[in-house]
Amino acid sequence: MARIVGIDLGTTNSLVAYVDPQTGEPKCIRGPSGITLCPSVVSLDLDGSIIVGAPAQRRLLTQPERTIYSVKRLMGRGPADVQSELKLFPFRIDPASKNVIRVQLGDKVFTPPEISSFILRELKNWAEAYFGETVDRAVITVPAYFNDAQRQATKDAGKLAGLEVLRLVNEPTAAALAYGLHEKRRGKVAVYDLGGGTFDISVLKLISTDEGDIYQVLSTNGDTHLGGDDIDNLLQAFVHEQILQEDRLDFSPHGELAQELRKELIVVKHKLSETEAVKLRFPLPNGKVYEHEFTRGALEALIRPVVDRTMVPVRKALADAQLKPKEIEEVVLVGGTTRTPLIRRTVQVHFDRKPHTELNPDEVVALGAAVQANILDRGVKDTLLLDVTPLSLGIETYGGAVAKIIPRNSTIPASAQELYTTGVDNQTGIDIHVLQGERELAKDCRSLARFTLRVPPASAGLPRVEVKFLIDANGILQVAAKDLRNGEEHTIEVQPSYGLNDADIEHMLEESIEYAEQDFAERQVIEARTEAESILTATTKALNNPQTAGLAGSERAKIDASIAALKEAVQGTDYKKIRQQIDDLNHATEHLAELLMNSAVQSALAGKNLAEV
Amino acid sequence: MSSPFPTTNAPLVCWSCHERTIGTHFCSSCGKMLQLPQQSDYFAMFEIPRKLKLEMGTLEQKFLQLSWKLHPDNFVNATAEEREISLKRSSELNDAYRTLRDPVARVEYLLSIEGMRKEGTTKQQAPANLLEEVFELNESLDELREARESGGDTGVLKLRLEAAEKNFQEKLTEVDEQLRASAREWDKNLEAKGDDASRQKVMAQLNELLNRRSYIRNLVVNVQKELL
Repeated sequence: MARIVGIDLGTTNSLVAYVDPQTGEPKCIRGPSGITLCPSVVSLDLDGSIIVGAPAQRRLLTQPERTIYSVKRLMGRGPADVQSELKLFPFRIDPASKNVIRVQLGDKVFTPPEISSFILRELKNWAEAYFGETVDRAVITVPAYFNDAQRQATKDAGKLAGLEVLRLVNEPTAAALAYGLHEKRRGKVAVYDLGGGTFDISVLKLISTDEGDIYQVLSTNGDTHLGGDDIDNLLQAFVHEQILQEDRLDFSPHGELAQELRKELIVVKHKLSETEAVKLRFPLPNGKVYEHEFTRGALEALIRPVVDRTMVPVRKALADAQLKPKEIEEVVLVGGTTRTPLIRRTVQVHFDRKPHTELNPDEVVALGAAVQANILDRGVKDTLLLDVTPLSLGIETYGGAVAKIIPRNSTIPASAQELYTTGVDNQTGIDIHVLQGERELAKDCRSLARFTLRVPPASAGLPRVEVKFLIDANGILQVAAKDLRNGEEHTIEVQPSYGLNDADIEHMLEESIEYAEQDFAERQVIEARTEAESILTATTKALNNPQTAGLAGSERAKIDASIAALKEAVQGTDYKKIRQQIDDLNHATEHLAELLMNSAVQSALAGKNLAEV
Repeated sequence: MSSPFPTTNAPLVCWSCHERTIGTHFCSSCGKMLQLPQQSDYFAMFEIPRKLKLEMGTLEQKFLQLSWKLHPDNFVNATAEEREISLKRSSELNDAYRTLRDPVARVEYLLSIEGMRKEGTTKQQAPANLLEEVFELNESLDELREARESGGDTGVLKLRLEAAEKNFQEKLTEVDEQLRASAREWDKNLEAKGDDASRQKVMAQLNELLNRRSYIRNLVVNVQKELL
């Protein structure tokens, strides 16, 4: 059975993790550059190929019009929702976008789920290279406060990336799982998760039972548009204003320069978590230089409104769990933005408790996702997650009011039945509008879907249709109807108000073949061959070097045999065999490599192979 | 319902092994998760009598126990049919726990399965003995809105509304106490296997109190909104 991985699809960075079957510990997988964080940046190359991660991030400066970051902010949203984002983010939305946003990269347009699928595909590649086998099933994390459309968009992204999404897990719940496993803690826990673009607070109860440990979410709250990005925006706006005042230079036409400045300011922000003051020098296009010393105090004054905004959901979540701050036994900080000292202090004061920061806040969500992936793979054995729906589900009633049918913080899966009939004779359809949110009027809630129940013509009040609304374990809505007169059941094709329908997805899947990775094995062969080329070249070069004349005849014979074997393996398509021969040759040339090294650097380079010398 | 103590569901045929089974949640023959029969209810699901006083600890324990077995996480690698049943059964379990855990929702649910209360038919008329106070309250609310619009002094009106809110809060506490008393009566009647007339009487009482409670609660919420 192929492995299931856990993926944290973040606003700023994404990660993939798995549970080591030997140790039972979750581990993040490193990418080709040796780090676990994959920047959530996607760029369309001039030749039409897709670039993801750190190389795409570098192109933010050189090719900003072909590159996009923070696409998570656009997931499951309509064009009208994101107007305010457009002022601060260089998103180029296709003006022809209707319900579904289409982002322009160069001369092509992509939906947010497609762009996210490129990131997922990259992580899938990392995992496949690591395991040496296909990975096609995953658990993906989402902000706990994501609504139905945002969750559906994430699931679509997985599908487009060639992944079967076994479960969407809420990020703070995943973090709690990673911590619980790590610390073996029990009791009431609050998880404060401030990432690049989203904020979540979840209150959980960790229970030990005879069967095993239960992670029961009591309440959750948050803001899907609040995060480190907002801090960066404040800093950027502050500096833009200063430059405008002092140098009469308007930054808005300088897209690339604005990106460069933003990058510098993020560095300043990170440094201010460690030190008290940081100087910035930034050359301006008019020949002048912007110089400013940022202090931690000034930064804190600037970002206090952002931090204060997070405390509103914190209070609401505690109220919904019917707990006072002092009743919380453990507080866990998650997300890179919680490295900010002001946030740590504010959280500590509110709960009167030092928060946990032992696990890497960037990795903890991915680690938790891996734990859940492992649980799903084995079927619940010793750990069970009971999560909740973050928002109330309602249906529009007479006069534009909303009747709540599944209250927020209900344990999922959850369901509700409603009985419908007709109001006039021979009416053949009943319109149903499903919404999510806490407000009383439909216009203030999030529209999830509208659909029409078809009923055979009859006298008013005679048809009786029971509609079942069900929120599944992913927090996604399913609707089914049952005609109570004949017992016929229908599943209802719900056309999402903001999102892709099945035909869209089908179409995109076809298109995605254009960008699809080569077959896994094929890619492995190419990579192994490339590596073989470089070691063969390096070995031949070394053997021609006068310094290696001291090589014993028997060693030389062994190397020659290894070279011949590798050359033969490269002709074939068995990448495992190529790898094996590369290892053999590396082993045979150890002494050769040593001879090549200057004695002064020998110790420093010990353990390196020829290609690395 | 013929027996006041329905502790197990009627025998049914297992969808998987096609044997007749007497289990509530799992087949007594093959151990597979069962579909709930049509006439099943939340009390039967927890295998408890239809009493209004519930031991919360026991309820939670039973909930967690069943969650272990019914949750979709158990069935990721199972057949589509079993996944579907698990989704249905675990959502019913969660709905049941959510309802029974809440003392007011519990009474509402009991009355609905006993046929006393139909959805959407709750009366929103002011209870007769509250008419005068409700009238006064609505007047104060109107005055407050008018004063706000004309920019007049709202201080005195706010104080009056705050006093009214406190008054209705106290009434809410009173109703809750009466509800608890009626609930005890229901339980006693159930234990004593009282006759149908006495059952109907307690149910009518409970229904009346629920209506009164929902009316007063709406008033309090409305006042609180104005005072914000």
